[in-house]
Amino acid sequence: MSDLELPAWSEPFVGAAGDPGRLARRMRIRGISREWAWGGATGAGVRVGIIDSGLEVDHPALLGRVVQSVAVEVVDGEPTLVENDTAGDLFGHGTACGGIIVGLAPEVELVSIRVLGADLRGKGSAFVAGLEWAVEQGLRVCNLSLSSKSDALYPVFHELVDEAYFRGICLVSAANNVPAPSYPSLFSSVFSIAAHSEPDPERFYYNPNPPVEFGAWGVDVPIAWRNGGSTVATGNSFAAPHIAGIVARIVSKHPDLTPFEVKAVLAAIADNPRPRVRPGTRRAGASVPAG
Amino acid sequence: MAGKRQDAALAALVAAARRSAAARRLAGDVEEHLLQSIVDATVSLFDAEASSIALFEPDPDRLVFRVAAGAQGAGAIGRSVKPTQGIAGFVYSTGQALALSDVASDPRFDRKAAERTGYVPRSIAAVPLLDEHHGSVGVLQVLDKRGEPTFSLRDMELLAVFAGQATVGIAAARVQRDTARLLATVLSRIGPDLDERQVAALVSAATRDLESDADAPFWALVDQVARLRAMSDAELTLVSDLLEVIARHAEGRSRRGRRA
Repeated sequence: MSDLELPAWSEPFVGAAGDPGRLARRMRIRGISREWAWGGATGAGVRVGIIDSGLEVDHPALLGRVVQSVAVEVVDGEPTLVENDTAGDLFGHGTACGGIIVGLAPEVELVSIRVLGADLRGKGSAFVAGLEWAVEQGLRVCNLSLSSKSDALYPVFHELVDEAYFRGICLVSAANNVPAPSYPSLFSSVFSIAAHSEPDPERFYYNPNPPVEFGAWGVDVPIAWRNGGSTVATGNSFAAPHIAGIVARIVSKHPDLTPFEVKAVLAAIADNPRPRVRPGTRRAGASVPAG
Repeated sequence: MAGKRQDAALAALVAAARRSAAARRLAGDVEEHLLQSIVDATVSLFDAEASSIALFEPDPDRLVFRVAAGAQGAGAIGRSVKPTQGIAGFVYSTGQALALSDVASDPRFDRKAAERTGYVPRSIAAVPLLDEHHGSVGVLQVLDKRGEPTFSLRDMELLAVFAGQATVGIAAARVQRDTARLLATVLSRIGPDLDERQVAALVSAATRDLESDADAPFWALVDQVARLRAMSDAELTLVSDLLEVIARHAEGRSRRGRRA
């Protein structure tokens, strides 16, 4: 089985902890530690958009942190924004992502942008319209645990995620484990996330071989699900909100950081193993002076 | 003028339908066979209780379980679910692969639908079948790996490879299956005066002719060729050589005919 060529965005992260040869990174930035990045931070004051299947507002895992719910419905082929969406969560998936984010950053303000609905034919354009709305609103962090394969939407997503990046919005996008392009997770202006299997919500890796740049817990994750329930799930969908939660913490403590700087901070404090030290070589983990 | 154009288009489409019918006759239902072989392989590789493939069918929008394998798979075939519901629906709608364990205790899991199939799984992994141009066309599911309570990352990625194979097969097979639909669409475009009933009658006439007695010698040949699949390499070489001789003879005759 191991000889098969797999579309393995998660592959770099499998067994990374126990293998110093994998993902070994020398980069550290003096003064930048986890304590510096998010010590004492709760996500307070940060609005996090969840572009997904909706949020079950009164689910106990969401700790009452949902401040707004909107939806994009497709009417006669045209995406239309519905303010004050009351449909809740059609699948449970959005609530699962929200629960993971609130678990890491309990004082964020969640904004549900429901783009999955009854009209499947319009789902690509609904996704675009939902993302467009989130960018217009200036939501500081957005979790995108869904993707589109539409070639026609490629340039639309490209322009939109660049605009988000320039406005300082951190788009956290789950990579799609299929051997084909999927947007927007493959663009460099998003945080592209795949799963690792170590059961620790704060453990994450930086992958120096894009397009997937970060790996977070996404295997057998206990998650909130519909009707106040819970289950255990696997997928890159559940890795992305771990990074979204961590990013929310970081920007709540350091509101001025740009997406580029947030990525650099994440890379500096990631759990990547240090390179093996060979006798007579320079000290491993040499610091780069900050700022 | 419009009538002439319509006749020419219809003739071209009937020729296409004829070729696709010949291909279908030669290979059986390619799509069904290929999908079945994929779920068979999935069950055996994952040592799972069941595997199934659901494909999206429009009007009304449903995900229809077309093939299944494994000790607990048979009950799924023919069942359909709304593409906006359940785990299959989610994976279809989002294009994101997903695995859940503890499925039966998940309050959202459609226990009634599962009970109708005679089997309620504990764990489920589902990946989308992604067509290069059209996004999701269906979902490949595996239920309950024996001996392991959950699915690993490697399982998910391997399942995605199987899904990729299924999608390639579906794309090829659909060219054949959609002939009648294609005929109907083109007819309604080129003959705006035709109402639905007239279009249906024309399509039915065109496709019925494919099986008519006038074509009997041709279909007999197709059937014979289909039987060749059971032959050894040496026998196939012999048949191929014989056909070559006959074809050359026929070409010579037709050239002589034209000169005359």
